[in-house]
Amino acid sequence: MALLPHLAKACHVLRVDVTSLSQRSAFSVSAVAAAIQKMTRVRVVDNSPLGNTPHHRAPRVIHVYTKNGIGKVGDKVMLAIKGQKKKALIVGHKMPGNRMTPRFDSNNVVLIEDNGNPTGTRIRVPVPTHLRKMEGDYSKLLAIASTFV
Amino acid sequence: MRIDKCYFCSGPVYPGHGNMFVRNDCKVFRFCKSKCQKNFKKKRNPRKTRWTKAFRKAAGKELTVDNALEFEKRRNIPLKYQRELWKNTVEAMKKVEEIKQKRQARFIINRLKKGKELDKEEAIVEVKKNIHLIKAPHAGKAKQMEEKMVQKLQEDVDMAEDNI
Repeated sequence: MALLPHLAKACHVLRVDVTSLSQRSAFSVSAVAAAIQKMTRVRVVDNSPLGNTPHHRAPRVIHVYTKNGIGKVGDKVMLAIKGQKKKALIVGHKMPGNRMTPRFDSNNVVLIEDNGNPTGTRIRVPVPTHLRKMEGDYSKLLAIASTFV
Repeated sequence: MRIDKCYFCSGPVYPGHGNMFVRNDCKVFRFCKSKCQKNFKKKRNPRKTRWTKAFRKAAGKELTVDNALEFEKRRNIPLKYQRELWKNTVEAMKKVEEIKQKRQARFIINRLKKGKELDKEEAIVEVKKNIHLIKAPHAGKAKQMEEKMVQKLQEDVDMAEDNI
């Protein structure tokens, strides 16, 4: 019986320690890394005037042209930029994908016409090389890209 | 095919291993394993993380300035393909690797020599302090007594001779 107060004191010390540990972070503070879907804000990385003029609303994806609504590298999407609709191609996303493909710090997109030709004339941001192997005619896009990753 | 260096630990990243991260300033970071990647995401400085090569070189624990290490530096000038050059390069690579290992090992051994001397001195001090644990209390005394007796006898003989 004489042990109990001693144990209680020890437990009290332990309990204080545990709460200070659990108070550190009850939730994750880093951004969600999801693939590109409807309503995602994207970053236009070519030098087209439509993509580079500032607007009070960031360009957003309003439709993803895949069977499921998930957009990965090489998928075409429809953007809403400056109050108009424009098609674009995804060239990099924050979500980690295949191990041998790079992960980017932002969701990058290149503006495209309906026939697949790029709107801008140069892409300064690094573009993943596995676009070359993908099904689809990305030759014009790869031609205007300056660096590959 | 190129064997890259991990950004965090400076280890080799062989093809098929590791991850790549592209930052928005177009800088590319290669990682050899998720340990390095996780540490990078935690914003740890590799020059302060003790197990990385970056720390060891910055803290002077490993060879930094050496001719053998100059061969590893990246050259951004493309060379025209020549078979002879390739053959010679492969042979040279083997030799340079050998020399580099020896030099690195020698550097570390030289660095640790001081520690060995300090260890020895410490050991001597410890033995002297705790000699009572090893040596019996009257260990060398018998010989001392014998020498004293011999000396005394000699003196007695001398005195007796003088008296005579």
